[in-house]
Amino acid sequence: MKKLLATLLLLPLGVCFVRADEKSLEKPKTQTVKFELVPSGHFIVSVKLNGNGPYNLIFDTGAPTTLITPRIAKDAKLAGDAKDKPLIPLFGMMGQVKVKEFSVGDVLAKDVGAMIMEHPTVKAFSQEYEKKYGSIDGIVGFPFFAQFKMTVDYSTKEMTFTPNGYKASDVMQDLMQTMMSSMGSKPQPRVAAPAGLWGMELAKSKDDEADGVDVKAVIAGMSSDAGGLKTGDRILTIDGRWTDSIADAYTATSYAKPGKPVAVVVKRDGKEVKLTITPKLGL
Amino acid sequence: MKYLLLLGLIGLVLSPAKAEEKKDPPKATTYDVPYRLTDTKHIHVRVKINGKGPFNFIIDTGAPALFMTEAIAKKVGGKTEDGWTTFDKLDIEGGLSIDKPRGVAVDMFQLKGMNSMGLAGVELHGVLGYNVLARFKIEYDFNETKLKWTPVDFKAPDPMRIKDKNGGQGGLEMIGTLTQVMSMLGGLKPNFTVHPRGFIGAELESKSNELIVKTVLAGSPADKAGLKVGDRIESAKGKSLSSSQDLLEAVKKLPEGTSLKLSIKRGEDTKDMTVELGKGL
Repeated sequence: MKKLLATLLLLPLGVCFVRADEKSLEKPKTQTVKFELVPSGHFIVSVKLNGNGPYNLIFDTGAPTTLITPRIAKDAKLAGDAKDKPLIPLFGMMGQVKVKEFSVGDVLAKDVGAMIMEHPTVKAFSQEYEKKYGSIDGIVGFPFFAQFKMTVDYSTKEMTFTPNGYKASDVMQDLMQTMMSSMGSKPQPRVAAPAGLWGMELAKSKDDEADGVDVKAVIAGMSSDAGGLKTGDRILTIDGRWTDSIADAYTATSYAKPGKPVAVVVKRDGKEVKLTITPKLGL
Repeated sequence: MKYLLLLGLIGLVLSPAKAEEKKDPPKATTYDVPYRLTDTKHIHVRVKINGKGPFNFIIDTGAPALFMTEAIAKKVGGKTEDGWTTFDKLDIEGGLSIDKPRGVAVDMFQLKGMNSMGLAGVELHGVLGYNVLARFKIEYDFNETKLKWTPVDFKAPDPMRIKDKNGGQGGLEMIGTLTQVMSMLGGLKPNFTVHPRGFIGAELESKSNELIVKTVLAGSPADKAGLKVGDRIESAKGKSLSSSQDLLEAVKKLPEGTSLKLSIKRGEDTKDMTVELGKGL
């Protein structure tokens, strides 16, 4: 019974969105976009879809998808291309489209996936701000901004975008994977793997809630020893990353490539000491 | 259903309670803030509130303020007045610290839904919204492992409250509960545990497509398994290797206490050995 329900839960996820084929532009140049900061603390940008528009959309770094309302989908002649329509059109959902030319201000991204729907929160925003700014018709999310090195500055109300060639995987496919992997009897814990060989052993007791982890052993002649680490030191950060548990420390070392010096801050005799350790190639 | 799931991922929040905001004079330093992209493509940073944590937060320009679960707000302690909870200190991983931050303690349906299924791959405790983000110029580049935060001199006006006619998020709240119930029915239990990878105790060197053992640490799992300096590692877990990266990849998901089969060449001889992975790095 449980299994059946789990399967049912997964069924609607069986069809995936088409993966957006993000391409970087030939010459990375930085472009600036002005945004409108509205009284609720959100900000609005001007968007064109395949040259149609402009439309007002909320810019949301917390949105893994991009949304457009049925109104502008129709206006930009995208509604007919919608794929993967839901059986029950809750919130006016009309499916998924790939927008060939998606521009925020003058910044153009190609083949940006977007969902067509009437998001209740977007609707509430639109009603609030319609008089001053015109209607608000969606959310610009990750599929757009991931393609750029981006800055957001509220003091100048400006964003900058420089194409960075980053290829974002599709959030629906990733979700599928997460759910499939949790389909077995027990989801497996993650493993944090150091990128290099440090020559040390760490410890932390269960009831120890203070910052940092203890150095239980330092292997003579290895990287940690060469960098001045001592048994009994309390490691507070590695490469600016908190090391408040053994798992945290391992995660921090997963970013530390062999041969590259890393800043390590330890507490020794009540004082903070900054060390530099260069992990070696090994494991 | 997947659309509902997706909806549950969008960090868009109408409004916090009303009150004013005090500012600290900004310093012109740039902080490197470590982040990770969650499985749900959220930008995840770690914070400590009142010295407690670390907690997992999402960077969310679609949220008007700092939001955290009620459990976290209670755990760290804070003064709640007029809908806002004021804390002594908010530390953001990477060395950044904000005095007297104000936030809203509420169980966001998005986080509730994601956590019940473990969708993000990490347990999420809150979001960093406008009243925190507006104090910084933030640079995002997903080819890098850190964000750049530079304090700016901006007196962020207090976020205005928008009222939805239904008083909530237009019916979206049910998604959190729905996913919670479904994951319970489906027996999906998230597992947020992280285990340290096992230790071998060998320094390696790559030479013309060969992976050579440079050092074997005395008493290490490699030593106990009989690995010697000069051995050429040819395969791990039955897969042939051409670089150190291949070996690291093969061992990446093996925690302490598991074992690894290696095939090595010593002179003209081929040897198979099993390394029992130990503690250390």
